[in-house]
Amino acid sequence: MRGAGGWVGVLVGLAWAVPDAAADTVASWKDPTRDDDGPGTYQYPTDPAYKPGSFDLTSFEVGTRGGEVVFRVGFRAKVEDPWDSKAWQGNGFSLQFVQVYLDRDHQAGSGFCEGLPGLNVRFRPESCWEKVVLISPQGKARLQAEVSQKAGALRPGVVIPKVTRVKGKTIEAVVDAQDLGGVPGRGWGWQVVVQSNEGYPDARDLLTRKVNEYAGPHRFGGGSDWDCDPHVIDVLVAPGVGGDDEVKAQHEALRFRCDPNKPEASPLVELPMVYP
Amino acid sequence: MKTIRASWVAAGLGAMVLATSPDAGADLARFDLAGRLYTKWLYRNNDSQGVLSYGNPFWPDDIAGDNGVGTEFELQVFGRVSPRVQAYARLQSRFGEMWQDWWESGERKYGGEVNTSGDSLGMNRASYIKLRGTWVRASIPFAQGWTNSVTVGSSDLGMFNPWTIGKVRYIDRDNGKGVFVAGVVGGGIVSYDLAAIALPKLYVGPWWSTGIGDPSLTRPFYSQDWAYGARVVAAPDVGTFTLVSTLTNDVEVDRTDPDAVGSPYGSCVDELGNPIAGCSWDHAVDYYSRYLNSVTTLEAQVEPLDWLSANLLAGVSVGRLDPRLTANGVADNQGVSPVVYKDTTDVAVRVRAEAADPFGVGLSLRAESFYIGPEWNSIFGARREADVLLTDGLIEGGQLPTLNLANEFVDFDEPFVESCIGWYGGTLIADFASGPVDLSLEGTYIGYATNRQNRDVDKVYPDFLHSDGYTDVDLYDYANSTDRGRDPRSVYRRNQDRRTGIGVLRAKVAFDALQGLDVAYKGKVIFDKDYRSHTTEDDDYTGLITTQRLAVGLGVIPGLRVEVGGQMDWWREDRRKGTLEQGYGNDRTWKGKGFAGLSWEYEGLRFRYYFEYLYKEQVREREPDQTWKVFRSKASLEVAW
Repeated sequence: MRGAGGWVGVLVGLAWAVPDAAADTVASWKDPTRDDDGPGTYQYPTDPAYKPGSFDLTSFEVGTRGGEVVFRVGFRAKVEDPWDSKAWQGNGFSLQFVQVYLDRDHQAGSGFCEGLPGLNVRFRPESCWEKVVLISPQGKARLQAEVSQKAGALRPGVVIPKVTRVKGKTIEAVVDAQDLGGVPGRGWGWQVVVQSNEGYPDARDLLTRKVNEYAGPHRFGGGSDWDCDPHVIDVLVAPGVGGDDEVKAQHEALRFRCDPNKPEASPLVELPMVYP
Repeated sequence: MKTIRASWVAAGLGAMVLATSPDAGADLARFDLAGRLYTKWLYRNNDSQGVLSYGNPFWPDDIAGDNGVGTEFELQVFGRVSPRVQAYARLQSRFGEMWQDWWESGERKYGGEVNTSGDSLGMNRASYIKLRGTWVRASIPFAQGWTNSVTVGSSDLGMFNPWTIGKVRYIDRDNGKGVFVAGVVGGGIVSYDLAAIALPKLYVGPWWSTGIGDPSLTRPFYSQDWAYGARVVAAPDVGTFTLVSTLTNDVEVDRTDPDAVGSPYGSCVDELGNPIAGCSWDHAVDYYSRYLNSVTTLEAQVEPLDWLSANLLAGVSVGRLDPRLTANGVADNQGVSPVVYKDTTDVAVRVRAEAADPFGVGLSLRAESFYIGPEWNSIFGARREADVLLTDGLIEGGQLPTLNLANEFVDFDEPFVESCIGWYGGTLIADFASGPVDLSLEGTYIGYATNRQNRDVDKVYPDFLHSDGYTDVDLYDYANSTDRGRDPRSVYRRNQDRRTGIGVLRAKVAFDALQGLDVAYKGKVIFDKDYRSHTTEDDDYTGLITTQRLAVGLGVIPGLRVEVGGQMDWWREDRRKGTLEQGYGNDRTWKGKGFAGLSWEYEGLRFRYYFEYLYKEQVREREPDQTWKVFRSKASLEVAW
């Protein structure tokens, strides 16, 4: 026991001697609770691993630390690891998959306007993106392979973090600023898309879990069986203070219409960006 | 004539095209097909043949062995019957046919001679396609504000929890079948699951069955054996509260009923031909419960602060066994039984608290206290691929509150699970994460509510025959012919007064090199003390188990990662095993392992390779020393489309 006590002392000492240097906050937003229902109709998969609040975005923070950019994504429920991600070179959680989209110039005609495969979304023309950061439980090799196989022309815009880890209800990811094209500035636009990590995705989907008409053990419900609905559970909406009006704004932004005769040709919803 | 005939054919084809095109399109849209091919290579420097390290420990099977390569194919068919009705079927080839088999194994023997022309009449090592799972799911809006689905058919039983009815092993994921109702009420605040599940006749119950193989039953009756489960989850703002209640009920026919097949009173007359009083036929048979197991848990999860969470789980387990319909597996099967041979009732409590970086310096704390009663059992609980305690445990695959563990149908590189029935104590884990560094330190104390003197392990409590010595999961053999230590299910001992301390240090440092370089270390120390019989000190066990593992992983190019490392074990075990009559010996074990692995993801192709060299030296005081020099490897190639 004396040995164990010594190790605790070492850990505590490390904690104080090598503090987790606080990042300078560039931007932060709140998101309303209980709006983890996409356009207002989505339901969680029925398997108990998907605990209430697991996909309910509550906060998003961007900070800088030296040449690094730190993202902190907060959820209503504690981030858990029911599928033992360490066994598949994962990052300590299993369920969530967050895609952070960055618009560096807020210029129409600049950047990519499609979302990554599996989301079934586009971005508004003036808010197309230059970079997207994948905050995933999957290890780097799997992410690289999926991006290489499925991202197509969007591939140059994809950034995989150096470090992704969990702290309670928060997932933290660290990337080099140069991978984003520089240190985030005040004019940059942001969108945080909350999805679920699917280890066995559809052949065209980039590790995303499908939303169907009715929920199944590992399928969200309340959408469509066709790929005309946004496979997005929660997003950030301006002004980003967590008000009830943002719930309505999200539902409106994600409202979809499927053409019953040609569902695959239905227009995709267009996501907005949030600018500080 | 030729022209006329051609015209008719053309017209007919045109009509068919016109008539069938829209429908064909609709039919295709209602189908979703998914295929998968999985190939595995398994090799070791011994002469056993098969493609599975640990097969069925009881019956010799035809697929287990250490050398071979085989392929399996899976086809999943999803059907969209209508907007509210979906269907699914999975067809899968049987695993185990080695490439060298071509299509015949040559194993079937006629009159004792090997049939060198193959055994076409048998199915051994044949990759026949089998229907593995089906379901039909309907969404039925039977009340305003409720969303409900009814599933009829296969399920992985993941809706409950490991304490009650556990999610079945991945390889069994479609084998469980039943009727399942799930729904959400009140906009998601409350959800529920109800299930009636056909009991697996070959693993749930005494003798690992619902009657088959039980010597006391001449005609096992399994077609009315069911498990029932209910789960209700309420998630108001203050937290999440989950109630799960389950019942497994194995029924048998009353063989004294004159209507039962084989009844000794079928004629309702005694040996002298006189009518038996009260004996009459009503063309119906009576049933008794052979074995009942009911487990109920209530779990509360509250997160009062962003950085603080607490979880309480409390449960009760009840077992009822009819000795008229259940032979004594403890007495008659060398103490190898998944149930205690008597009626049991016991409780379990687990309290967990986690503080995630409360000081903002990267230091997080997790604490857990637990008590699992000595007669708790979850006969249909999770058997592997789950873990109910925070601790790394004695062996690192997870702890589960059942005697019905499944450490078979796995390969050498897959973790073993252990039973935590009777455990009480606590775990404290400090995690430190800063920049590229992750550190974790665990301290655990385990006491044993199973501690007792003169426990009846002859007729009541199963000891699984082997209760002594630290379990070697690297070189496990079910019959324990190579002295591999305690069976992970062995929680009862005739004389036990045991306590255990566990310390684990994990460290991982990530560097920016190529596609990512990380160095990971795990060190573990176990101090295990068992005073065993209080009548003497000569049997007191002291185990000091140490393990150190270092691994370096490197992403070489996008999608390709390699890992190399080594592990060293040193186990000092005083009075490790023996008997009071013959004495106990002081044994020492030294193990060294070097390993290398590779994972490659390329355009939908997934390749894995793992190789290790294992050296083990066991120095035993009362028996000859033993040495192992094992090379072994496993590779897999998987594609899905």
